Amino acid sequence: MPTAPCGFNQGMTTYLDYQSAKPVDPRVLKEMERYFLRDFGNPSSLHSDGDTAEEALDACREKIAAFINAEPDEIIFTSGATESNNLALIGYAFRNKVKGSHIIISELEHISIHNLAKFLEKNGFKISRLPVDRHGRLSLEKLEDRITPETILISVGYASNEIGTIQPIFEIGELAREKGIAFHSDAVAAEGLVSIDVKRDNIDLLSLSANDIYGPRGVGVLYLRKGLRLNPLILGGGQEKGIRSGSENIPGMVGMKKAVAIMEEEMEKEVKRLTSYRDRLIKNILEKIPRVHLNGHPTLRLPNNAHFRFDGIEGESLLLSLKDEGISASTGSACTARTLEPSHTLICIGLLHQEAHGSLEFSLGRFNQAEDIDRVVEVLPGIVARLRKLSPLYRRKEDL
Amino acid sequence: MKPTKYSQKVMDHFRNPRNVGTLEGEEIAVGRVGNPVCGDLMEMYIKVKDEKIDDIKFQTFGCGSAVATSSMITEMAKGKTLDEALKITRGEVADELEGLPPVKMHCSNLAADALHEAVKSYRAKQKQAAKPAEAPLKRELRSVPGEKEFLGRGVYSKLEELSSLQDKRILIVDRGAESLELAIKLTRYTGRVVYLTPLKELSASAELKNRLKSSDVKILYQAQLLEIMGEKEVEKVLVYDLNEDEDYPLFVDAVVVLPEIKQEKS
Repeated sequence: MPTAPCGFNQGMTTYLDYQSAKPVDPRVLKEMERYFLRDFGNPSSLHSDGDTAEEALDACREKIAAFINAEPDEIIFTSGATESNNLALIGYAFRNKVKGSHIIISELEHISIHNLAKFLEKNGFKISRLPVDRHGRLSLEKLEDRITPETILISVGYASNEIGTIQPIFEIGELAREKGIAFHSDAVAAEGLVSIDVKRDNIDLLSLSANDIYGPRGVGVLYLRKGLRLNPLILGGGQEKGIRSGSENIPGMVGMKKAVAIMEEEMEKEVKRLTSYRDRLIKNILEKIPRVHLNGHPTLRLPNNAHFRFDGIEGESLLLSLKDEGISASTGSACTARTLEPSHTLICIGLLHQEAHGSLEFSLGRFNQAEDIDRVVEVLPGIVARLRKLSPLYRRKEDL
Repeated sequence: MKPTKYSQKVMDHFRNPRNVGTLEGEEIAVGRVGNPVCGDLMEMYIKVKDEKIDDIKFQTFGCGSAVATSSMITEMAKGKTLDEALKITRGEVADELEGLPPVKMHCSNLAADALHEAVKSYRAKQKQAAKPAEAPLKRELRSVPGEKEFLGRGVYSKLEELSSLQDKRILIVDRGAESLELAIKLTRYTGRVVYLTPLKELSASAELKNRLKSSDVKILYQAQLLEIMGEKEVEKVLVYDLNEDEDYPLFVDAVVVLPEIKQEKS
């Protein structure tokens, strides 16, 4: 079990919000250091150390490609998954407009995909948004119904980072390949938690982020299958085969390479551990607290995600009370959003507004210990009971 | 400023809210404001003696500021005359709490509204103004866009085989006792039954209400079905909230609209 990075939350909080931010693994940081201070990326001054920037870059490409069963020259480095999504959607759509102008996405995408879809709609493309079932799963039938001769791209997130539901990626890939439509998946929520194999799953474009596998922020990858073309968004010196210009962020890429290397070694054990913590958390919460429900698919869900809704109470108050107990989590309640709208994902699985407001998400990660689960199980029932005493909604059901 | 940057005083009222609870009796009046749709619901109970607020209690569904502002206003209102209570403004509540993030000011507005509603309700009671009887469910039934279109593809006007709705998300529109009974029956096949009614309170016998309360049926009051939508079959509906004067989508797999209103035989 890796030790927590030194000073991680000063040991003061129980951190259960890994889906929104992850610390960098200290081993990754160590590996990156020399590329900041010594091998700082100028090819002509590095040969005495044996590692040229180009070698380091190639090694990064190879390592990351192997991780997802791609070829090294199918890996494009970006500044993160949001940029990868931009390249995938805008870059691919405009390059292939002559083939058609219809794109299918799911309702459960990351906000960047949603905003990219809106942008494409304003620029001559037609977008279909696939609804999901009550667990958040897509239906292959509905997908097939929406495919037209004009469809050039299907973009479906590998899994929901909110409710944890994993999509039928293999089946979608199969269908897309059969119809000759490019298939893109934003895999950020699933990296390091499920095995991603672009060949097996017929995936043509894939977005990855370094931070989501405990690498540094500001680095990501777009996998682009050989033979497919897209327009660059960032022009300049022609790096990344002209697809993504800009001096390479060697330390960042090395960080991602190291993060991947660690994952290759540790992912299996880590997933087992996280799964057992998650299941223990879910079991205890469902047992100890009345009128609580698990959101998302009961079994086809990310190994680290436990998303609940509690009848009659509201998410921000839950978070504040948890904060008082030193526990960090997340909610889909409108009260915490800048727009005061409840989470789109929760509405799409069919929840009423008050149910969406009463939601709480725990996402576990590498540095969690069993005691973290125990702590939550210990304090949450009391918090929920207290807030329910305050609530007219909980009482109201009793005296209908 | 992040929505949840709270002052110490707000946190104090959140952690230790004053005057939580309900009141019952002749000298009691309730003010109810807000709406679960927007994420805040407040109930303010006042006990009035000699035109003064003798006792006051509150219940709130909402975020940290919602709880804190309700608690604070009960402290401010206790012992005041009804006229003084009516003069308490949201600005004063926020000031007493040493400030609220701007996006949370509407919570203090709600708290003041709840108190004012309670006072108005008390005064109306005193005048023995008859509470206007709520209009019964209308007999003329207009069908909504999509209702005929999706009949047989997610819209049901009668149900024989309930098991076909196993695990589906069902919306059932209020058509009196028969639709209520159906809603309760459906909970045996699925955990997601939502019952839509334009009324503030259901008109049903105590027995039926009892069974409803122990079932899993979720009731949306003061709501109307606006439209049924989808590609080849029902995928979602548009609901109109009469209280908030807003419409919003609700994702469902099936909509049950019985053709006639059948009230229970008295």
